Amino acid sequence: MTGPMPARDPHHILAEKLTAKAPDGQKITFMGAHAFGDARLRRYELDNGLKVLLLADRSAPTCAYFTWYNVGSRHEKPGKTGLAHLFEHLMFNETESLAAGEFDRKLEESGAESNAATWVDWTYYYEALPKDRLSLAVKLESERMAHLVLREPQVKSEKEVVANERRYRVDDDVEGATNELLYKTAFTRHPYHWPTIGWMEDIQGFTPEDCERFYRTFYAPNNAVVVVVGDFNEAGLLGLIQRAYGPIPRAVIPPDDALPEPPQLEERSLTVTKPTATEKLVLGYHGPALGDADHAVLTVLNEVLFGGRASRLHRALVIDTETCIDVRGWVSTYRDTGLYEMYATARAGKTTDEILGIMDREIARTKEEVVSEDELARAKARLELSLLQSLETMSGKAEQIGFFETVLGEPAAAFRRLEGYRHATASDLRKAARRYLPDGARTIIRVLPEQVSAAVAPEHLQ
Amino acid sequence: MTRILRDRISGRPLDARSRTGARTAERAVPRVDLGDGATLLFDEDHTLPLVSITVAMRSGSAHDPDGKEGASRIAMRMLRRGAAGMNAKHIEDQIDRLGGELSVDVAPSSSAMEAQVIERNLVPFVDLLVKILGSPDFPEDELMRLKRETVAEIIEARDSDRALAQRAFRRALFPGHLYGRSTTGTPKSVESLTEDDARRAYSLHVNRGNVVVGLSGDIDEATAKRVAEQLVAAIAAGIAPGDPITEPEPRAGRRLVFVDKPERTQTQILIGALGTSPFDPDHVALGVANAVFGGSFTSRLMREVRSKRGWSYGASARLGVDRHRQSFAMWTFPAAADAAACVRLELELLEAFVDKGITPRELSFIKRYLMRSRAFDVDTAAKRLHQALDVGVLGLPADYHSSYVTKVDAVTCEDASAAVRARIHPNDALVVVVGTADAILGPVRESIPGLLEHEVVAFDED
Repeated sequence: MTGPMPARDPHHILAEKLTAKAPDGQKITFMGAHAFGDARLRRYELDNGLKVLLLADRSAPTCAYFTWYNVGSRHEKPGKTGLAHLFEHLMFNETESLAAGEFDRKLEESGAESNAATWVDWTYYYEALPKDRLSLAVKLESERMAHLVLREPQVKSEKEVVANERRYRVDDDVEGATNELLYKTAFTRHPYHWPTIGWMEDIQGFTPEDCERFYRTFYAPNNAVVVVVGDFNEAGLLGLIQRAYGPIPRAVIPPDDALPEPPQLEERSLTVTKPTATEKLVLGYHGPALGDADHAVLTVLNEVLFGGRASRLHRALVIDTETCIDVRGWVSTYRDTGLYEMYATARAGKTTDEILGIMDREIARTKEEVVSEDELARAKARLELSLLQSLETMSGKAEQIGFFETVLGEPAAAFRRLEGYRHATASDLRKAARRYLPDGARTIIRVLPEQVSAAVAPEHLQ
Repeated sequence: MTRILRDRISGRPLDARSRTGARTAERAVPRVDLGDGATLLFDEDHTLPLVSITVAMRSGSAHDPDGKEGASRIAMRMLRRGAAGMNAKHIEDQIDRLGGELSVDVAPSSSAMEAQVIERNLVPFVDLLVKILGSPDFPEDELMRLKRETVAEIIEARDSDRALAQRAFRRALFPGHLYGRSTTGTPKSVESLTEDDARRAYSLHVNRGNVVVGLSGDIDEATAKRVAEQLVAAIAAGIAPGDPITEPEPRAGRRLVFVDKPERTQTQILIGALGTSPFDPDHVALGVANAVFGGSFTSRLMREVRSKRGWSYGASARLGVDRHRQSFAMWTFPAAADAAACVRLELELLEAFVDKGITPRELSFIKRYLMRSRAFDVDTAAKRLHQALDVGVLGLPADYHSSYVTKVDAVTCEDASAAVRARIHPNDALVVVVGTADAILGPVRESIPGLLEHEVVAFDED
């Protein structure tokens, strides 16, 4: 004997007990635990492939219930863009056991908040409920995973709603329209070329049959992960999930067939006019995918360049030269190679050429010199604060867990990325700048005002 | 970055920070008298290593002299632009290095400096706040820079059709009244501000008799008290300046303000009138009725405008809360082609709401929603603290939040319907539309029965 036998993990025993009570084919398996900060995140899986991630948090008598589907606009085809998002809207309609409108009524009368989001790589649905109403989320989400009813009137009405959403977010919104144009220009083959909300003509052309086909293809337990954070009884919750989702069959999920984007070797430049007061400049460089080691490093560099009032480009463009009113940068958090986006809004009388000159000078600096240790420390502290802020609510935690699980298969990746930020050196940042900010291989969108009224003439405030 | 959300568009009966009430069993936020009229409120929560710090003032932009609108906001924004001999750059560097964040918020009746920091840096961060709050330098060059920045922001805000609608609505609903003015000011009033104006506004607001300090998060009572005393000791003694705002008077007759902007495929529509004061005996009853009408995803407005007709992505009704009677406003944003029909429908729905009140079934449903969802108004220390700050700063009844559930539970159908009849007058409704006048002004005018007068204003007119 070398010592006492290790005790079996109680979560294995729990899963075995639940399996023993369930009908054949509805096995539930404890797959292990992940450190999530100081807490433990437990992973279970049903026989039909549904993943379940549970994080206990007793700080309030509430729960967040998120269902993430591995489907987004990247899974659409030309001519059918916007289907993933339209479908998200339709998921709040009729099911086999719930009349239209009942889904929302049941949640609201339980005091729940619910919503959903769709983006390029994923779609999620969430409910935030008082803890004694958690079973309702299990019931409703499992119901609409398998028993949604799609009829012509609902599809027609929801298409109108989405068309209006598109007008609101894109057609009448300068930034939304510019962002759409940036991706349309920077991507030529990969599905990131089209917007998640879809082209207007595609939105207006969808049929109930399109929606039904999409539903049967992507809405299945083996294409989803359920994340629950809150004050729950683990055995009771798992039993509910097993009974509600266990009978739902797997689907054959088509393999991802997104065409790889060829390297962009040239500068693509477009100029558009809009009814706006001032000029805007948007740059896009092809950046790393979220799973690349460089992503965290480039995120730190972005913080040095654009993170807050002490950052280089804010100082250069907003404070020192007063060329801009606002500057922002973001390294897209996509499964495949996305864009490092940079936005600048000129002040009245200032031009995109002036902005571009200053931005190019600062971008060149990042490739020539290493950033100072002080700048590096500030960027890292800001990113740490940002991560902590994202975890302040149960819904915030569930969103972080579901996002990283869906995109990377790693639910606690937020903390690994924090380590990545901490370990990034000034030299790493320069290497990333040289790699991802190449001269002459980027997309530039310039927005010029269609008209300038007397109130915004350049001499104003001189 | 833009993410496509189903977006419930603020389905709350009142502004999120101003919900009426709370459950009596809820944890009370401890209150400590700091002397000279200053007060500390704090809520301890060690879930994350974050500390939130609010220094709230019982006065705001309503005190700005005529022609000097924007003075209070400029004064508060100047705090971080030079203090105790430190220049703006040094201050910004320090905030970032410590993993901190700082912002200011100025409203007609209140002002606040809001900060958050990673707990391990609390001590040096508070040392910095003491200097910022207690020893601002108001350097001339920074004041000039901030004025130019503010004017540029005012111009840039014209890109937001929603902001244009809100500004026009406020001006037309409260003509000649302090609620009708802009907290930011106009380009002309901002340009006129001097160092003396900023110092005067600072002295008026930032004094010991006028502040309430709020601390929440990873901080114990002894430390909270020490931090609050340190902050309060840094500022001068003084008295709260009193409330200059008078009760707003309703205007008789239906009015239309059309904000003309080119190329709008969509409109922004606000329809409303005067609403309620927190001291009205029927304040909670009106909030309950409003929740039925436009405060949830299954409300009458949402059902008729979005679900049945697909006209607008969002449709809601909101009651503003301040010390005096604030606004009642319905918000939709239909396509330009649907704008006139949408205005007509909303007015008809409003008339039916006032004529017939709400039904017992509706009341029963909304009570369950409001009472059960209360859990999400108090599920974090920061939310609990902000409710306590609302009471302390606006001088609301002490049980304003804590008796919410009890008061909602007590509302009868007769109470709710009577409150609607007493407070909301459809024949005095103000209609604000942001759109392209050439295309839709005529049909919109015709959609308003009994229209008394209309006005067309250019979107870039100040």
